[in-house]
Order: sequence, then C-alpha cells, then structure tokens
Amino acid sequence: MELAASVLLDTTLITLTLALAAFGLAIIYGLIGVINMGHGAMLTLGAYFTWAGLQLEIPFVLSVILSGFIVGFIGLLFEHWIIKRFYNSPYETLLLTWAFFLVTTELIKIVFGSDFRTVVNPYPGSIDLGFYKIPTYRTLICVFTAFVILSTGFVFFRTSTGIKIRAMIQNREMASLLGLNISLTYKIIFGFGCFMAGLAGGLVAPMLSVSPYMGDMYLVRSFFVVIVGGIGQILSGTIIGSFVIGGLETIVALFSDQVIAQVAVFFFAIVILRIRPQGIFSEK
Amino acid sequence: MQNVLTKISGEAKFELLIFLALASIPLVFSGYILFILPQYMLFGLLAVSLSILWGLTGIISFGQAGFFAIGAYAIGIVVKSTFLMNSAILGILLGIIVSAVIAGVVGYFLFSAKVKATYFVLATLALSIIIEQLAKSQKEITGGWNGLFVDRISISFGDLLEYSLFNDIPMYYFTLLLTTIAYALIKFLTTSNFGKILRGIRENEDRILALGYNTSIYKTLIFCVSGALAGFAGSIYGTHAGFVDPSLARVLFSTEVIVWVAIGGRNSIIGSFLGGILVASLANYLNSITPEYWQLIIGIVFIAVVILFKGGLAGGLEEIYHRLKSKNYVSARNP
Repeated sequence: MELAASVLLDTTLITLTLALAAFGLAIIYGLIGVINMGHGAMLTLGAYFTWAGLQLEIPFVLSVILSGFIVGFIGLLFEHWIIKRFYNSPYETLLLTWAFFLVTTELIKIVFGSDFRTVVNPYPGSIDLGFYKIPTYRTLICVFTAFVILSTGFVFFRTSTGIKIRAMIQNREMASLLGLNISLTYKIIFGFGCFMAGLAGGLVAPMLSVSPYMGDMYLVRSFFVVIVGGIGQILSGTIIGSFVIGGLETIVALFSDQVIAQVAVFFFAIVILRIRPQGIFSEK
Repeated sequence: MQNVLTKISGEAKFELLIFLALASIPLVFSGYILFILPQYMLFGLLAVSLSILWGLTGIISFGQAGFFAIGAYAIGIVVKSTFLMNSAILGILLGIIVSAVIAGVVGYFLFSAKVKATYFVLATLALSIIIEQLAKSQKEITGGWNGLFVDRISISFGDLLEYSLFNDIPMYYFTLLLTTIAYALIKFLTTSNFGKILRGIRENEDRILALGYNTSIYKTLIFCVSGALAGFAGSIYGTHAGFVDPSLARVLFSTEVIVWVAIGGRNSIIGSFLGGILVASLANYLNSITPEYWQLIIGIVFIAVVILFKGGLAGGLEEIYHRLKSKNYVSARNP
C-alpha cells in the first residue's frame, strides 16, 4: 500500500513536471498549428534568464516571472517579424522555428558560455508523509502546474476570450468575418506559448544543471506528450500525454536502464503516431 | 561530340563540369584538400539523399544522419570482425541494406496510414534519437560513447588485384567514382517515370491517388532509396574518417543536412550536392577563423534562405540564367 502510494506520488510529480515543460508547446501546436521546434531553446533561455536574475540578486520567483515575460516578448518579436507570414506553410514554420533554435543556442553559447551553471534550489527540504518524503520544490512546481492548467481551462471554457479562441480553431474564416482579429489572436497565443516555455525553463532550472542544450531533452518528449495526448486537447491531452510518456519511461527504467527506457518511449510514440494520430484516448 | 554536347541540357552540362572539376582536383592540388574533399563529397551525397525526399517528393526527414550513422557503423563492425573475405564490400552492402530496410519498414508503417507530413518529420526525429541512443548504449557492438576505429579498407578482386585505399589519392578516386555512380543512378531515377510520379505526389497527392497510383508505396520506396543512399555515403565515410561515434546520429547533424539542402537548393539535385560540399567546407573554414560565431552565421544564412530564397543557390542561379536568356522571363517560382 505504502509502495503503491509512493509510486503514485512519484508518477504525479513526473507527470506534472513534464506537463509544465510541454504546456507552451501544446498551446502553440494545438491552437495555431505551428510546430515550434524552438520550444527547447525557449526553455533554455528561460533557465538562463532566471540564472542571470539570481546573479543580479533578484528574488527567485520574480526572476522566473521576468524570464517568462522576456522569452514571451522575444517570441512575439519572432512571430511579428517572421512566423506570421508563414502560417499557411507548416514546413516553413517548422524550419524557421528550428533555425530559431540554432541561432538562439549559438547566442546563448556566446553570451553565457558553454559551461554548466547551477540555479540553487530556493525551497530545499522535503515534506515528510511518514512513509515517503516529497521534495518541497517539486511539490510546489506541481501545484503551480495544476493551477496554470486549470486557470487556462477556465479562460478557455468560461470566458468570452475562450469562446473567441475556440471559434477561431473551429472555423478561422467565419470567426474572422464575425469580427475576430485573427492575426492579433494568433500573436497573443504564440506569445503566451513562449511565455509559458520561458516560465517552465526558469522553474525546472533548479532541478537540472543549466547548459545550452538542456532544452533538447524536453523538446522531443514535449512533442510526444502533445501527440500522445492529442493535438487540440490542450488541457486533458497534456496531462494524459505527460502521464503516458513520463510514466512509461519511469516503469521501463525500473526494469532496464535509462537509455532503453527512452528508446522504448520514442518507439511507442512512433506507434501512437501511426495508429492513433488524434491522440491516445481522444475521440476522432 | 559537338552534337552530343548541344543535345544535352544546360543542367547536365553543369553537372558534367562539376564532376570533371572534382576529377581534376588531384592533378592541381595536393595535401589537406585531397584528404578532406572525399568527406565533403559524401556529405554531398547525404544532401542528395534529403533532396530526393524534400525537393522531389515534398517530405522532410530529420533522420538522415541516423542512416548515415548506420552505414558508418555497419562498415566499422564488419571490418573489425575480420573473419570474412572482402569484408569491405560486405560492410558497404550491409550499410546500404540495413538503412534501406529500416527506412522501408518505418516508411511503410507511417505512409500507409497517411500520417501527416509534419508528423513524419517528428517520427524521423525520434528515429534518429533511437539510433543515437542505441549506438551509445550497446557498448559491446558499437564501442558506446568512445566510438569505433575503422581501418581504411582495401578492395580486392580475387587474389590478383588488391587496391588499398590507405593513401589519399586512391581514396579520393575511389570515393569520387562511387559518388559519381550513385549520383548518376539518382539522376536517372528522378528523370524516370518513378520520378515524375513523385513530383506529382509533391504537387497534389490526391490527384495521383485518383489516377490509380498507390502513393504510400511510392513514398515508401523513395524513403528507402534515400535511406540506402545515406547509408551508402555513411559506410564510405566510416572507412574514410577511420572513426565512428554516436554523435554521427545526433539530431543536430541531421539538421545540418537540412541547412545544406536549403542553401544549395532543395529542388535541384546538383544544387543539393554542391550545397553539401560548399556549406560543409565553408563551415570548416569559418570554424578556423571564427570558432565562436560560425554556427551563428550559418544559422542566419539558413533563415534568410528559408524566408527569401526558397530555391536556394540553385534556384537563384537558374533565375539569373533565364533572365539573361530572355528579358521577358517571368519568374515561375516567385510570381
């Protein structure tokens, strides 16, 4: 029983952390159909800005929020100058966001150097449940992720902005004829996705070492979270996808090593792409 | 001779010129360039393997480096287990076959379900990561992180003739010969009916389907050919470089191939081939003068090409050529 509870807690932590990292990608992919290959670089940028904020003795929480806004702003500029002209050609946006990754990674290397940085865990210690100790910081991250996803759900399903966005996904031309400013809405969604990526990068920074390629690990897994969960199923899909990808990796790693676990997950994701491209549990 | 020359098209003349130039380089230059150029020719072939997918058929693969690495590991592993005669040829064949089979299985698995083009990109991305991870973890076979040393092979025909590729000039001509043959085969393929159907798929897949062609078979076949070509280039690369390690399969290398093809010209086979050679040499040169900024420069050039010059260098040259030929020429690609 206690073992089951601790496995459950562990899986929840992994699921929600992965969901946090994938959320920005799910927003952009699910709502405006852009495969943001720059997502990993945006996570990395968020982590570096948070690190830089701490060097300037800005408190951790403020640094993370600032990082989110800066990355969101960079995303907005990128959208405004480049991406908005290519919404109708998925290959071009894919290549351009990948180019964003290449250029950003190089700039990070030039500005910050290639060596590892550490962001000190602002909330060390753990919560003792008697049978299991949960790290405080990871718990806070999970609570925050749940909050972000629920509040996005609230905006999406309970406000007029949400109705407009859903109308736009359903029928872009019609929504535009009814007076919805499509290009502005796209801009806001893209910016929000980048903001979330920057925020997530800052938040995961204390759990990893910060390096120019730290976002790569999350990039491909985030894609599979989105695909397994189902594109457009931003809220439930992200959670389900993270649960399947993160959970599978943890379970396989119990029986073999980490590398085989990753291979198994990627293999599984390719199979899902083939047999259930609409997402593992979603209706067509 | 004169008649033959006037009959063949401008592009074919250009291709002939490039290969003649490559053949005469050892007569003029010596030293490092003779060592490194075969490697770039193989990169050129790798670029061609992407261009027949991207430019010809309209499919992007982020996994070409994976096939390249399979080829390199195949020859490395076969040559190391020296119990076989003619292990070199066997290694090259194995590289081609394994790559083609993997490409065929993955390709058919995805194409037969009409998986979206952008999903296919993600699947190939995952494929290349799987190959990289396996290369890292299967230490007994691949040497793990440390990689694998591969001897320069010698090609033997029976007992009489043995042709060692240890020196640079034999290696150069050996690579050039194989590159030329592979290039000619690909060129033949793209001008055949098969190539026409692939172009049709790129322009309008539903229409080709309606004409009665099983497009998923055609896409699988071209992905197979592309994988085989990348594996072939990789196997020669293995023996040329003398060393194989998991970084050959990394996603960044796959995307370098995309950058070469974008800059060289995705719609042109010779453009992609030259893109591979030129961008790789340029990268090498920039790396020696500004090690910090060269990747940044190439990244920015890549963005500029994707936004402004969809046809890449080859497309640009073609346009200039047509402009010069007729003043009334209206660009077909950028109306």
